[in-house]
Amino acid sequence: MAPSQHQYLRLVIGGSTFLLPSVMRYTIEQRDALSENTASQSPVAAWRTVRGTRWPAYSLGPDLATRPAGDWHRAVFLEARPQNVGIIVDEVQLLPRGETEIAKFTPLGPAPTRFGHLFDGAWVSGRDVTLVFEPTALIGYLQSLGE
Amino acid sequence: MRRQNTDRLYVLEIPLGNTSLLLPSAKIAEVISIGRLAPVPYAPDWLLGVTGWRSLAVPVVSFEGFLGGHRMLPGAGAKIVVLYPLTGRNEWEFVSILSSAEPRPRSVEEAGLVTAQEADLPNSPYVAGGLKTPEGRLLIVPDLEALKTTFYPF
Repeated sequence: MAPSQHQYLRLVIGGSTFLLPSVMRYTIEQRDALSENTASQSPVAAWRTVRGTRWPAYSLGPDLATRPAGDWHRAVFLEARPQNVGIIVDEVQLLPRGETEIAKFTPLGPAPTRFGHLFDGAWVSGRDVTLVFEPTALIGYLQSLGE
Repeated sequence: MRRQNTDRLYVLEIPLGNTSLLLPSAKIAEVISIGRLAPVPYAPDWLLGVTGWRSLAVPVVSFEGFLGGHRMLPGAGAKIVVLYPLTGRNEWEFVSILSSAEPRPRSVEEAGLVTAQEADLPNSPYVAGGLKTPEGRLLIVPDLEALKTTFYPF
């Protein structure tokens, strides 16, 4: 298997590591640049306000379900329509080009989003597997979490 | 299915919790030891996770989940039986089944194995048939087409 020509963003979300192909534009925002969401019934952990528009950031567990935000420092916002959407991350790192070898991967069972499965690849190192997000499905999933 | 000599059909008995599966040896790529399974968010309950094998991510399935029981979790001595991609699927789509112990090669023509009656079989669309040992133990033959439809419902 040849090294991938894409670059990948390594995201640690709720203690679990995932990869995201850097085919989409993204920004990394520090907590200071966001305002905490105080609405108790809302799944949104924080907001990023840009020119009068606010983008939600979600705190997710390793199962990608929303959970209360604990001690966090940064969020990754993905460029999307109609609005950008963010994930609170424990760590974020752009892996060097050619460092990863991504294998195709088809998750079993029904897709959890109407955009399809959340993953379409995997980085395999020995017996260890890191799943690779399918960007469209990930954005669709995050946008479906609501405000 | 792999046949040797004349009419012997070779299969692998895959021990589960209370019963066993019987699969043609020709469907099995390798039996490997259990390692750390990476969880797959929003996966069905019968999917235990994925493991790395030959640079591929291979889903690990608990067949008990298809029999209406609790899914089997990896215990001491558990093995992963890696199956070749199911008919019609892509060449990288290997799947695997969790075995509670080392699988055992058998021959369908072994003395004493008899066809299981329908009443002996679990009422599940994922069961194609079965055999019984002289001791009365059930060996289930899974319906791979039914599994494929559930694995890949799109």
